[in-house]
Amino acid sequence: MSWSDFIYFAIGSLSLWTLGVALLYLLKRNRAGNIAIVAGIVLFATFIVGLWIGHGHPPLRTMGETRLWYSFFLVIVGFATYMHWGYKWIMSYSVVVSGVFIFINLLKPEIHTSNLMPALQSLWFVPHVTVYILSYALLGAATIASFIAIKEIKSGNERLIPLIDNLVYIGLGFLLLGMLMGALWAKEAWGDFWSWDPKETWAFITGAAYLVYIHSRIMNYKLKKLLWLLPIAFILLMITWVGVNYLTAAQGSIHVY
Amino acid sequence: MANKSERKRKIAIEEGAIVLGVLIAGFALQFFTGESTSFNSAFLAFPVNVVFIVLLLLILFMKRGTVLSRMASGSLSVILLGAITLATLWMGLVPENNVKISWPFVLLYLLLLINLTAVISVRIKSLSVRSIPFLLNHVGLLVILLAAGPGSADKARYFMRVGEGNTEWRGELLNIVDSSPNKDELKELPLAVELIDFKMEEYPPKLAVINVNTGESMPKGKGVFFEAVPYTQEKIEEWILTVDTFSYKPRYAPSAFVSAKDLMGNSVAQGWVSCGNYFQHFKLLSLTDSLSVAMTFPEPQSFKSQVKVYTPDEKVREGEIRVNHPLRVGSWMIYQHSYDTQRGRDSEWSIFELIYDPWVIPSYIGFILLMIGSITLFWKGGKR
Repeated sequence: MSWSDFIYFAIGSLSLWTLGVALLYLLKRNRAGNIAIVAGIVLFATFIVGLWIGHGHPPLRTMGETRLWYSFFLVIVGFATYMHWGYKWIMSYSVVVSGVFIFINLLKPEIHTSNLMPALQSLWFVPHVTVYILSYALLGAATIASFIAIKEIKSGNERLIPLIDNLVYIGLGFLLLGMLMGALWAKEAWGDFWSWDPKETWAFITGAAYLVYIHSRIMNYKLKKLLWLLPIAFILLMITWVGVNYLTAAQGSIHVY
Repeated sequence: MANKSERKRKIAIEEGAIVLGVLIAGFALQFFTGESTSFNSAFLAFPVNVVFIVLLLLILFMKRGTVLSRMASGSLSVILLGAITLATLWMGLVPENNVKISWPFVLLYLLLLINLTAVISVRIKSLSVRSIPFLLNHVGLLVILLAAGPGSADKARYFMRVGEGNTEWRGELLNIVDSSPNKDELKELPLAVELIDFKMEEYPPKLAVINVNTGESMPKGKGVFFEAVPYTQEKIEEWILTVDTFSYKPRYAPSAFVSAKDLMGNSVAQGWVSCGNYFQHFKLLSLTDSLSVAMTFPEPQSFKSQVKVYTPDEKVREGEIRVNHPLRVGSWMIYQHSYDTQRGRDSEWSIFELIYDPWVIPSYIGFILLMIGSITLFWKGGKR
């Protein structure tokens, strides 16, 4: 399977997800909607597996490929969150955001299939990248929820706070795992756990910002101001993910792709 | 209640003022000692760093009281984390900065170590099962910060260039990569490396139709590249290209005999295409005035060095070193760093990076603790 087949799977999955969300809102029982969403996830996963086999190596190298995983994980995170907390809106938002990333991949693929260079031939490669993208998806979902919470908090409604904290903790857990696995890999490949490469610096900034959030929550600071930390932290996260490639301070990074 | 939150606020403001004061002192120190004499970690080398760590860990034995609880304050943690975020933002945004060796950053690191140790000190005085995730994360981080900070002063890094069949025991501090090493700066190391053989494998080079004036590959904007493997066929714009033979002899550059036909099956051109190398010129196959078939340089798939390592205790260690697979000899790690990129697979020498790091075991312990700690965040999930 190759990227030229993506459009069929993308449109198929997106239609199933949209149908699923619509069914969740229209029907009293959730079963039909859930089935449609899961079917979309399975279809999307089939493409990723096919692409993996087609490439002969995991599709994790190019920007387009990381976006592919993001669209995939975001829907899974949205679905898991909705199943656990019962919020249908988080499901619909994650489908919309996932759709945006799918369309970026369709319009601006950046998918030049390239050979896997020796530095990337490591056991750490797949877990390091997927765990990061999964964390981005979780923190993305937390950001969506934070916008709604910022609105609601004005009238004293704090119903979303446990959900947000939950997503941030799990997202940060994955972020730390991604960082630690990257450090262990770096030790094997270059001899240093950490060398303040621009991507590393920004990953650190992102992690530190979320640490500020969870420690402030423990201190019970006023939510009205505190919630704004989440969109800010997410901007830092986006710089880590895509922005680093464009920063002047980041020329010569070993993570530019 | 209102009194309590008022008190908390006052404490936080005090702490903010103290951190700010320390930072200003750091900036002043930086200013008066000059930009070039930033913090130099060399003086922290063993045994200074061990003494420092022992002193720091005395905090763990402090009695519960105002002093300890002020050092372990949660609002201080938030302030320090915020300050670290801002400092690293500076690091990430300003080109060619040296934040990480600047005095304010070093002092901030010190404050963080004190706060972190104090927090652990408070927590171990009322141990329970519920404090396990907390301790995994905080102790793990403390161990990592100690190994990465004061511990790093004991780390040494050398580069060593070894020719095939030769043995080298002198290393250079700087990256020598492709230039010939300056023998005066070489240092004798307690281990010697003999390069038995350097081997390299490459991916097949790729073929493309390019515009010889602009270098752009066709079709415009989404150039097609295909592997130069015999009997491969590819349609690019109005040509069908077939690789008839492929040849890649030692020393010579890879070359492919390509025949190009139009869509009706009429032959347009045929001939050898090569990317060239240090020994041979490149060759193109012209299709039109401006379009030609060209070959890319083969990309490395793997490169490895077969070595024998000799140590003063007369032990000989034989092994293979390649990217992502360093060789460990005691506290030394030997990495495959580079080779003669001009000659590629014909390279007759290999460059190794040798790293001496006695703190590597504590670092791994810290990583394991923090990794398990991160996993505990999943089910802790913000519930308190």
